Amino acid sequence: MSTFNITIDGHELAVEAGQTVLGAAKKLGIDIPNLCYLEKCGPLNSCLVCLVKINGKLVPSCGTKVEPGMKIESGTTEVHEARKTALELLFSEHVGDCLSPCHRLCPLGMNIPVMLRHIQARKFDEAFVAVRDALPMPSVLGRLCHHPCEQGCRRGTWDEAAAIRDLERRVSDDDFESSNPYLPPKKAPSGKSVVIVGAGPAGLSATDYLLRQGHACTVVDRHELAGGSLRKEVDSEALPVEILDAELDRLSRFGVKFKMGVTLGMDVTLDGLLRGFDAVLITVGEIGKADGQALGLEMTPGGIKVQAETSHTNVPGVFAAGSSVKPMNQVVRVMSEGRAAAECIHMFLLGKPIQRKGKPFSNVMGRLSKGELDKFMEGADLVKRAKACDICETYSRKASLTEASRCLHCDCRSSGDCSLQTYAQVYGADASRYRHQRRPFEQKVQPGGVIFEPGKCILCGICVKLTEMAQEELGLTFVGRGFDVRVAAPFNGSIEEGLKKTAAECVEHCPTGALTFE
Amino acid sequence: MIATSPAARKSRADEAIVSAPEGNRIVTPIDLKFVEEAVERIGREPDAVIPMLQETQEHYGYLPEEALKRICEITRITPAAIAGVSSFYDMFRHRPVGKHILRVCRGTACHVTGAERVEDTLRRHLGIPPGEDTDPERRFTIEPVACLGCCTLAPVVKMDHNTFGHASAENASRMLAQFLAPNGAGSGQPQTEEERRNAVGLPQINIGLGSCCMAKGSDRLFEELQKSVEETGAQVLVKRVGCVGMCHRTPMIEVAIPGKPGVFYSGLAPGQARELVLRHFKPRGLMRNLSGLWDRALDSVLNDAPVEKVANHAMDTKKEEVCAFLEKQVHIATEQFGKADPLDLDEFLAHGGFEALAKCLRGAVACEKKVQGMLAAGEKEVQWGEPLFAAEELIGMIEKSGLRGRGGAGFPTGPKWRLARRQSGEVKYVICNGDEGDPGAFMDRMLLESFPYRIIEGLAIAAVAIGAHEGIFYIRHEYPLAVKRIRAAIKLCRKRGWLGERVAGVDYPLRMTIKEGAGAFVCGEETALIASIECRRGMPRLRPPFPVEEGLWGKPTVINNVETLALVPWILRHGPEAFAAYGTKTSKGTKVFALAGNIVRGGLIEIPMGTTIREIVEVIGGGVGPGRQFKAVQIGGPSGGCVPAKLADTPVDYESLRDVGAIMGSGGMVVLDDRACMVDIARYFLQFTQDQSCGKCTFCRVGTRRMLDILERLCAGKGQRQELVELERLSRQVGAGSLCGLGKTAPNPVLTTLRYFREEYEAHIEGRCPAGKCAGLVKYRVLENCTGCTLCAQSCPVNAIPMTPYSRHFIDTTKCTRCDSCRQVCPHNAIEVK
Repeated sequence: MSTFNITIDGHELAVEAGQTVLGAAKKLGIDIPNLCYLEKCGPLNSCLVCLVKINGKLVPSCGTKVEPGMKIESGTTEVHEARKTALELLFSEHVGDCLSPCHRLCPLGMNIPVMLRHIQARKFDEAFVAVRDALPMPSVLGRLCHHPCEQGCRRGTWDEAAAIRDLERRVSDDDFESSNPYLPPKKAPSGKSVVIVGAGPAGLSATDYLLRQGHACTVVDRHELAGGSLRKEVDSEALPVEILDAELDRLSRFGVKFKMGVTLGMDVTLDGLLRGFDAVLITVGEIGKADGQALGLEMTPGGIKVQAETSHTNVPGVFAAGSSVKPMNQVVRVMSEGRAAAECIHMFLLGKPIQRKGKPFSNVMGRLSKGELDKFMEGADLVKRAKACDICETYSRKASLTEASRCLHCDCRSSGDCSLQTYAQVYGADASRYRHQRRPFEQKVQPGGVIFEPGKCILCGICVKLTEMAQEELGLTFVGRGFDVRVAAPFNGSIEEGLKKTAAECVEHCPTGALTFE
Repeated sequence: MIATSPAARKSRADEAIVSAPEGNRIVTPIDLKFVEEAVERIGREPDAVIPMLQETQEHYGYLPEEALKRICEITRITPAAIAGVSSFYDMFRHRPVGKHILRVCRGTACHVTGAERVEDTLRRHLGIPPGEDTDPERRFTIEPVACLGCCTLAPVVKMDHNTFGHASAENASRMLAQFLAPNGAGSGQPQTEEERRNAVGLPQINIGLGSCCMAKGSDRLFEELQKSVEETGAQVLVKRVGCVGMCHRTPMIEVAIPGKPGVFYSGLAPGQARELVLRHFKPRGLMRNLSGLWDRALDSVLNDAPVEKVANHAMDTKKEEVCAFLEKQVHIATEQFGKADPLDLDEFLAHGGFEALAKCLRGAVACEKKVQGMLAAGEKEVQWGEPLFAAEELIGMIEKSGLRGRGGAGFPTGPKWRLARRQSGEVKYVICNGDEGDPGAFMDRMLLESFPYRIIEGLAIAAVAIGAHEGIFYIRHEYPLAVKRIRAAIKLCRKRGWLGERVAGVDYPLRMTIKEGAGAFVCGEETALIASIECRRGMPRLRPPFPVEEGLWGKPTVINNVETLALVPWILRHGPEAFAAYGTKTSKGTKVFALAGNIVRGGLIEIPMGTTIREIVEVIGGGVGPGRQFKAVQIGGPSGGCVPAKLADTPVDYESLRDVGAIMGSGGMVVLDDRACMVDIARYFLQFTQDQSCGKCTFCRVGTRRMLDILERLCAGKGQRQELVELERLSRQVGAGSLCGLGKTAPNPVLTTLRYFREEYEAHIEGRCPAGKCAGLVKYRVLENCTGCTLCAQSCPVNAIPMTPYSRHFIDTTKCTRCDSCRQVCPHNAIEVK
């Protein structure tokens, strides 16, 4: 076998003849996005997301063999734009939500359908893991959250939204009673330390995040009791004091160290804190202009001035979040702001460029028409929404199970395991760029558990090829031509009939959520 | 409008999936005996699927699912293959059809001359509901066709096997009546494809019998002429010839008497045949003469019809018009145009036919013997006392001539052959690409119909050049006459030893077969064409490997366009220098163009490369119609672009056309006048490409549709300014990212119109269509000079104009469908379109 050199983005590399450009790049650690390539099938050249530029022309790298002295461009803007366009064109006819609307609408990004599926499976402990991984103070939020998730719930367009907040509260309260309460995993100690000034929702949310990342955290507050603005909710009876105390206790058990009765500007100075800690986060709640300036901070009419993209104040190493930046009402948003600032601090501590994290990518299907909704409801439990007390009273787990069964599981079954979603995030694709009219939603649930969603099929051809190679009796084929091509079993057969031998293999290699198991 | 409404877009996939005949619950069982017989005849291998489907459809009228299942049971064809292939190609139908099939051409020339209105009228007339293709009584099925290749007769409708040209909303119903009349056009078709040997030395009446000429009735005239000659006993040969080129004057005949200049007639009716014969040829015997004249005189008295004088149809070849059409032309691919009987092999041989092939064969065989040291002692290397073309030498000559592929991309032919020759391996193939799918082009059809032996010779020479023993004609099924003539020609060549085990008496076997396309523009792309011959879905694949390395069945394969092959024998007979003397520095020789659209003299022309667009349009074509302005020419069909009138001095050669954003393409040239809306033209082509895309790669499959989405919004007046930027950007991305030539060139019509006619796009954003074409943006109004003649009210198909005799009419714009009928009939130009 002859070997020779090629260059990819200026890096020289020895390759064997017969290798594809895609394979060669992989050796160099360059991940060229691809959706339709499966070694077993050979290059299908359908998705064209794996474009590279060679000799002034864009070519699919999966089907192009290396040649001596070949110069390949993969990381240029032009190549990235082309890949992004290919992804955006695929999304223009993609029907489905990667993340469920409730998940997307949760400011803290809780994966709600996962929680509900665990409840439905009677795995309450695991349901709490899903909750606690996203929420710093779940029992508090289970009472105070204004639940934007429920506004987006597709079930709500049919009858009533699923009682997401009440179910979340139920599993979170259960953890208090647990003989083996759950504590989220922490990374190995980073050797860095952060002081958080202000023990309210923003500060505690940030602390929760920083602890998970392995940083040592100290929370200082001028009050005697932690909780900040949450204490006001206790006063107004929206939040029982024992719940707040139990939640603070849960945080203490996780490793939060409180130093109460310490006032910034009086007991300690910013300079002093910066000498003792690697970073400072100010979450003192609303703060007057004069008070801020006295600390040496630049102010806006609303509060402390920070760079929107980094939460960084004018003092290096000092960050601010929550109502101390801009007055906010909703506790879930305050917590989300606290966590966003903590993410910036984490990057700051690692010495990486600071960039506020964007929302996770998700295709959005939007409103369903009446007919589509009927299809969406196929197989769903038609039971009515339970009353809050039925769910939250400790003796009625059954009501929780029933309520959780009302979830329509709007998230894609392949979310997190979908190449299209992954690369869309990497390339910053705008899923709605070329979409003016959405294709209708379709899904075909087969008796054997294979689910086919034509709206998510990108016509990569992998399943068609696999069925052909396995000499399926019926198999799958492309039907039609042009824009209307689709994958189907011949003679009106069901997908299941086409996949007698190869169902598992096809589901495994489907690059999107078009073919899944129930 | 039918063609533009997204709801009415035909989805092949839908049709294939919903295969049960709707509204007909009791499905009569189908006799599957035919399928079994056909399988015995055609074969059981997977590569029999397309011929099998073609025969099945021919027999049942559509593809019944039971029949397809039966085929899978008794052959090695898989259900996946049969479902995939039968839903890919246009010609296959999964639902029963009406008794008659009306094919409405949607080619470019037809589009710009009002095909949509014709289709609308036919649909209304036959009661075919929108979104359906068959009337409730199942008498008629209407079927759009990408292009029938009769562009000079646009708009064209084909009713079963009969083609009708110059259709209009006004004459559509008359056309139907004519078709349905007993003994009318629908009752059968004269035979014009039998082999013939024409007597030599007699005076002749030459009559063009190409598809276009026949659509204008030349077949009936031919029959009448033969009958008249027989009856009058005149010593004259009525001779069928190929395309005459002057399609705007068909049916055209030439009376050729040895020693005298030819006399031409155009537009003669079949009824005038006898008079013509008598005018030129004295009948034998006085009695016959008298009786004939007597009959004729009696006829005219009894019929009381105004008898038009035959003399009025005579054409003066010295006349400026005819001179202008012919003067600039050089006939190489179309040598002997209008003179030769397409299927008279002796005549072909008499004019130097197969001379070049014979030399090539003898040269190749002698050379081979020499290489192998097999020349017997005393055997001469050169046997004819003339130079023989050993394969290398032959390729050298083609290289020297500068011949480049006439199919579109212009790849040099000689080097292509050389690459293929260098490939090792016993089995190689040559393919003649006759899948002329571009709407607006019909050169290849005319060449195949008119000069079948010449193309066979070209393909045979290509085979000898690369060392292949098998040649395949891939011809689209929309060209039945071309298929028949090539088939007849191959058969005769075999009989006379010009094909077969020993060609021209030399030890060189060469077989030729025909594969009929099944209706897919993308199959003009060579890798898709190969897929189609292999009976798969016509989906292109990534090149390299190129077909010269790995082509048909994985073997080295040369694919040449019809016109390229037609030029080859001439080059070898006259020498490469003679060919290279025509043309420009990089584009040698001549190019055949199909000139059509808004032009006075449409037709098939062959001009030296480097002729300017202006010379073609204004001198040869006689310009656009009176009172109209020449706006642009569309060159290269869906892959080409619109060259504006201000660039009409661009010479026609590969590089100059590329520089202005168009491409040479295969030779369709559609002239547009000021009535053409350039945004609509771009929309028209994108509609075509997104439908014809094989649907494999993302850029072409989805990208062209998204471009079309934007263009449709623009044409409906719903476009936004920033969408122009997006359209341009997406066009460039689709061009750069697509897998094959179809996608790579699909944005050209958009990019050229954006480049040269941006103001029209801007106008659409502002809600105006300056050409008055886009239905969503124009309103019809009756002006004050209306005399109340009621013609408009009578012609309005939707009763949007109340009849108010002697007073000014008005149009109810809520009912008006912008069909343009009123404006066409108004004798006072009182209809305003704004």
